Amino acid sequence: MTGKIVKSTVLIVLLILALIFPMIAGPYPQSIMKTVFVYMALALAWDILLRSGQLSFGIAGFYGLGAYASVLAVTHLNLGGVSAVLFGGIFSALVALLLGLIILRLRAMYFAITTLALAEIFRVIIRNWKGFAGGPDGLILPSVVFDGAPVPSYLLVLGVVLIVIGASEFVEKGRFRFALTAIRNNEIVAKSRGVNVFTTLLKAFVLTSGLMGMAGAAFSQLYGFVTPENTFSADFTLLPLAMALLGGIYGTWGPVIGSLVLGIIAEYLKLFMPYGHLIVYGIIIILVILFMPRGFVGLIRDIDTRNRSGKGEDTKTSSSKEVPA
Amino acid sequence: MKKRLIITGGAVALVLLILLFLWKPTVVIYGVQRAGLYSAIAIPMGLVLGIVHIVNLAHGELMMVSAYLTYFLATKLGMDPLLALIPAAVVLFGFGILIYRLTISHTLKAPELNQLILTFGIAIVLVQAVNLIATSQPRKLSVDYVTASAKMGEVHFGIYDFVFVALAVAILLGLQWFLKKTKTGRAALAVGQNPKGAQLVGINVDRTYMLVFGIATALVGVVGGFFLTKQSLFPAVGGPFTMKSFALVAMAGIGNLPAIFFAALGLGVAEAFISSFQGYGGWAHIVFFALIIAVILIRSFRGGK
Amino acid sequence: MKGLKTTGLTRKFGGLVAVDSVDFTLEPGRIVGIIGPNGAGKTTFIHLISGVYLPTSGTVELDGRDITMMPTHERSRLGLSRTFQIIHPLENLNLVENVMIGYLFAKNLKKKEARAKAENLCLELGLDRLERSVDQLTVLEVKKMEIAQALATEPSILFLDEVMAGLTSEESFALIDFIKRIGAEKNLGIGVVEHVMGVIKELTHSVVVLDSGAVIAQGPYEEVAKQSRVIDAYLGGGA
Repeated sequence: MTGKIVKSTVLIVLLILALIFPMIAGPYPQSIMKTVFVYMALALAWDILLRSGQLSFGIAGFYGLGAYASVLAVTHLNLGGVSAVLFGGIFSALVALLLGLIILRLRAMYFAITTLALAEIFRVIIRNWKGFAGGPDGLILPSVVFDGAPVPSYLLVLGVVLIVIGASEFVEKGRFRFALTAIRNNEIVAKSRGVNVFTTLLKAFVLTSGLMGMAGAAFSQLYGFVTPENTFSADFTLLPLAMALLGGIYGTWGPVIGSLVLGIIAEYLKLFMPYGHLIVYGIIIILVILFMPRGFVGLIRDIDTRNRSGKGEDTKTSSSKEVPA
Repeated sequence: MKKRLIITGGAVALVLLILLFLWKPTVVIYGVQRAGLYSAIAIPMGLVLGIVHIVNLAHGELMMVSAYLTYFLATKLGMDPLLALIPAAVVLFGFGILIYRLTISHTLKAPELNQLILTFGIAIVLVQAVNLIATSQPRKLSVDYVTASAKMGEVHFGIYDFVFVALAVAILLGLQWFLKKTKTGRAALAVGQNPKGAQLVGINVDRTYMLVFGIATALVGVVGGFFLTKQSLFPAVGGPFTMKSFALVAMAGIGNLPAIFFAALGLGVAEAFISSFQGYGGWAHIVFFALIIAVILIRSFRGGK
Repeated sequence: MKGLKTTGLTRKFGGLVAVDSVDFTLEPGRIVGIIGPNGAGKTTFIHLISGVYLPTSGTVELDGRDITMMPTHERSRLGLSRTFQIIHPLENLNLVENVMIGYLFAKNLKKKEARAKAENLCLELGLDRLERSVDQLTVLEVKKMEIAQALATEPSILFLDEVMAGLTSEESFALIDFIKRIGAEKNLGIGVVEHVMGVIKELTHSVVVLDSGAVIAQGPYEEVAKQSRVIDAYLGGGA
């Protein structure tokens, strides 16, 4: 019980910190936090689908779709910045719904590579669609959201991240977690206990993709432009993946912690290593998979269980070898 | 039943190819040349997937690394690239074994998800390492023999690219010989079909995996050398080939190496066909990926129940 | 008709006939043993009934309704349940959460209600370490958890695929008592696949003998066990 109180106190303090952050920090840390929040949203959204055992390499794809949709919504539908962010999310979710009906029959490596190919297809379509989507030059917004006012735009991205955290916690606390975990463990068992595997996966895929689209939409509204190469950049797949893995997959707080740590490190890395700093993410991915497949959160849990079960017992500490199945 | 299907299918494909050849001869020629390159890269991936049961998402990137190696050997030491690719392939063999030992061998028992993420990470590291060492500036070797061309009636076309077809055939035949005729190769096949059984009859499974991974890496190394003679190099050049290779292997069916060549033929010609329309060259990729998804889906539906 | 009925149920894998036109009925309140040598098609038969495989020909009916092509999850909602020969506890869910799955999805209960029912069911089976993570359970606990998970879909028909394997005889007898009691209490039709003939003898009202996918004998255990075909199937052809 005390654990619960401590936990909620910590969460409330963190939330207040996040809210007053623009008042205590200068413009530079604020802009770092905005980027970190976008990656956090992506990392966490990716993890939600991963909880069903489906690995997507298509983060950049749905992110980019949302970004483009929201820019087009401003220029063609005269939507305001905030509603354009929601529009981007809804658009990505709808595309995911249509595609999901087909590709969610695939599993494992077939699914993973198809999502990678999808991201590529979106990019190629937009690159070649000169009239409407701007072709290789991309699109520019007449003005960025809130005319670039720092505090409201910070709050917009914070809002997006809170929605993603809310969605993730909704999944974790509700019956959805049971369905996802059962599917990840063994689909036949899940089916035999009444879980509708296909519908569950479709829901998770649509939710994940919609959240990614919303993150992309927010980013495009903040910076005011989209181009095929920047918006569909593999970075938007790579970084969230590394962040979620480092923090620990299959839960809300792993990706949140991972993106905070790695996102802030990334900013400094860019200063010291302007070219090829992405290598660090690759190395992190490899090292985490080899030595710490359950991430920071897993590490903390292990230490916690060890402390509780007494010193002598070495219950779950060998689990660095153990896989996050 | 199955045989008849293959024969009819093959005959229909051949007729279509001939018709296409009469209409747009360059499409068929370039299509076949593309198919050579694609299958040369995809066959080693098929080997790894069929025996080690690992999807190596760093596959195209390994080819890229070898192409860079060849490039530096050629420019710094003045070697002909087709000679320089020999030491490059040897280095790649060692590199493949190193990658297997240090990383892949530790995730063989882990869920497939971990292996996918791991090799994805390796791909990133390779691309970014090359980016750091050689920058992202495109590089190209000019070799005079690649411009050789031929004329057929009214049509002019480059003939050097047929070297990729020859390369693919050589790799395929070489591997078939290795897998069917040599003791090690037969052991590798046995390991691919049933690792536990192979272990029981005394085959060293781990060593076999390592060797197969090394051979596959060396082969993409060779392809990388040839690739360099024709195309310009940049760190991200390998990425699409990873995806295309996987798609071809999936289409052909895991474990069916010769079929990779036919899958590549279909896709190469389809790509060349789209590219032959002025201004639509950019869509060629999409045809490829759309086809990938379609074929993978059809296969998965059929295998589903 | 109440209960489960298969007619001419057949499944081929390539040239191999794994299940060969099996006619089988299981009425509420009855316990039927399904026996046969290894590879006789017992588990495949259960897969066909639960929809994990679809049959090559033949039909499956539940309470008079044709469910031959129905998806697995819908069958479980109609009251058809089973355990698995190779148990896959759902990791990252603790004991009681593993059992909740059936109540949540087959019975569509709210989380609270599902938890309360799952806790009751566990206690009934003698499982009391409810919050334990599944990798810390004993063999007996895992077996019981598997049965609880299957019962949590509140079935009318239940198939048990070698649930006694790996238990001591004392544990087996306790479990036999439980199955008999729950079967009578809830008027379940229970199909039991088991290798230990003592268990079959204790537990079942009648048995069906499969060999190479086909039914070669059926009736009360004492009668069937005397038939020479059955003895041959076990001793002769063996595999």
